[in-house]
Amino acid sequence: MRIPFSSLFVTSPFEGLQEHAEKVKECAWAYQQGIECYVTDKCESFEKFRHEVIRLEHEADAIKRRVRGHLPKNTMLPVSKFLIFRYIREQDCVLDSVKDSLNWLSYRPQNAIPKELEKDFFLLVDSVVTPIEELSAMVQEAREYFSTFSEKQRIKAKEIIATMRSLEHEADICEDRLNRKIFTCDADPITVMHLLKLTEITGSIADHAENAGDMMRAMLAK
Amino acid sequence: MPETVVLIAGFLLGFYMSWNIGANDVANSMASAVGAKAITVRQAVVIAGVLNIVGAVFIGSHVTQTIRKGIVSTEVLADPHMALVGALSALLAASLWISFATWRSLPVSTTHSIVGSMIGFGIMASGFSVINWGKLGQVVASWVISPVFAMVLSFLMFKFIVGLILSREDPFERAIRWSPLFVGIAFFVVLLCFLFKTPLGKTFSISTPMALSLAFGLALIFGFIGKFLLVKFIPSDNPDGTEEVFRKIQIGTSCYVALAQGANDVANAIGPLALVYFLVKDGNVGASLPVPWFLLLFGGIGIALGVAMAGERVMKTIGEKITTLTNTRGFAVDFSAATTVMVASKMGLPVSTTHAAVGGVLGVGFAGGVDAVNVGIIGKIVLYWVLTVPAAALTSMFLFLILEPIL
Repeated sequence: MRIPFSSLFVTSPFEGLQEHAEKVKECAWAYQQGIECYVTDKCESFEKFRHEVIRLEHEADAIKRRVRGHLPKNTMLPVSKFLIFRYIREQDCVLDSVKDSLNWLSYRPQNAIPKELEKDFFLLVDSVVTPIEELSAMVQEAREYFSTFSEKQRIKAKEIIATMRSLEHEADICEDRLNRKIFTCDADPITVMHLLKLTEITGSIADHAENAGDMMRAMLAK
Repeated sequence: MPETVVLIAGFLLGFYMSWNIGANDVANSMASAVGAKAITVRQAVVIAGVLNIVGAVFIGSHVTQTIRKGIVSTEVLADPHMALVGALSALLAASLWISFATWRSLPVSTTHSIVGSMIGFGIMASGFSVINWGKLGQVVASWVISPVFAMVLSFLMFKFIVGLILSREDPFERAIRWSPLFVGIAFFVVLLCFLFKTPLGKTFSISTPMALSLAFGLALIFGFIGKFLLVKFIPSDNPDGTEEVFRKIQIGTSCYVALAQGANDVANAIGPLALVYFLVKDGNVGASLPVPWFLLLFGGIGIALGVAMAGERVMKTIGEKITTLTNTRGFAVDFSAATTVMVASKMGLPVSTTHAAVGGVLGVGFAGGVDAVNVGIIGKIVLYWVLTVPAAALTSMFLFLILEPIL
């Protein structure tokens, strides 16, 4: 008798988005540790963190597929389904970029980063990790808004998105500074080429986080 | 076959039927309040039990007429033997189908079951010609109208709550300020139904405009009393104050659904039982006999016992499964479902609370209030609604074949 009510509701996609965002956050932590290991320990436990990130990426993939798989054609949502798909894709891109960054680093197990660039590189990594941490907070606040429709809650979520945008801008500045230093430092062409690509991939992490924020902004639009 | 045995059988089957209704349908009214932890399961059982009895006794008599002779023409029912066999087989067929459905967790309606089994009996008694197709069409129409009506109502109500309270700067303060309105409209409909459809209204012979203004005035008073109580009992620093206000109001609307349900669903069990009762007592049934209040009371008690004995499990299932229904949403759903059932019951249409509740939930979903609603499942639900009638009809036909030679 009660089946019509329970099956009326399909798994809420927002629950999945949040779970996915938590995975991304976990990944950010492993990523930061991995980079630190690479630079200071000279690759002692770097591989361990890289595999950790790969594992997390697999788990997040499963969540992403589950969210997509549980939104059949007849599902009705408070926001456009298309936006949810776009959002989770961007959030997943953040993870992919984190993984790519570590992978790219692992291609040159030794001395890929010259001493004089270490500090700037750390700064870049820090600047891309902060927007990732904002991601899960944003999803949380947005989810709260969709359940209460409180204008205050909407503003809170929008503020986080604005913060993410400015953080991305800071990451851009770090990336630019690092790029300039790469060309002035005294290194062989292979190192320079490797570093340039590494900077690009790392910088793209923040870009994807900002894009995810923009998607969320579209969902929050009235 | 001695008449007392038949009468006892009639009462037993009528009781079994009302017990089934209690075990199944009552969760509709109380589950959202239980799920939101507004009341405990034990309190819900008591409230639903009492209000179902009250609803059955005071408001239930109107619909009973429809079930008793609306579908199958009076010619068949005029033959005492036929009518007796028909009523008993209809009761048993509907009860069996509901019990089976409960066991299988199938979404069926108690109202559909009894309508279906009455049709089955009518066909067996004297072919298809005996069925009042116009009336049946009206019943079928109510299957579409009541969910749609409830849907529109809950959609509007939820949008209204969002616009008026939730999306504002200080939702709690606004919820308190507007609470007389929400308490008041709930009271308004309840009072109207009491005045229009109960012996109360007839005794005082109140005219429609008089009833409207009386209900309006009382609703106004109750609305402000409600506000006073809300201010008194909800601390102003409650972080979840808005939901708290609606949680309290929701207890009221749940009671209102329980009342409406008692009024509407008691007919399913008592209609056929009343038929048996008059056949045994008087040997025939007149064109319009008032259903005695003690039969309605008997049905109400059956429903109440059904709730008490088997209601908890079902209630918990709904209460815990519909997690996306917050108190504000629950209020919108409850209000629309109850109003739909009340209006339909006033028009004499045998609607089911289940349809209205599903419609109400959909309405909130369309308003963007629920995280995700599966619209596809509606097709399946409708299929089960439609299946109920032939299933109950076939069982009833089969039972008729068995019972006819015995009685």
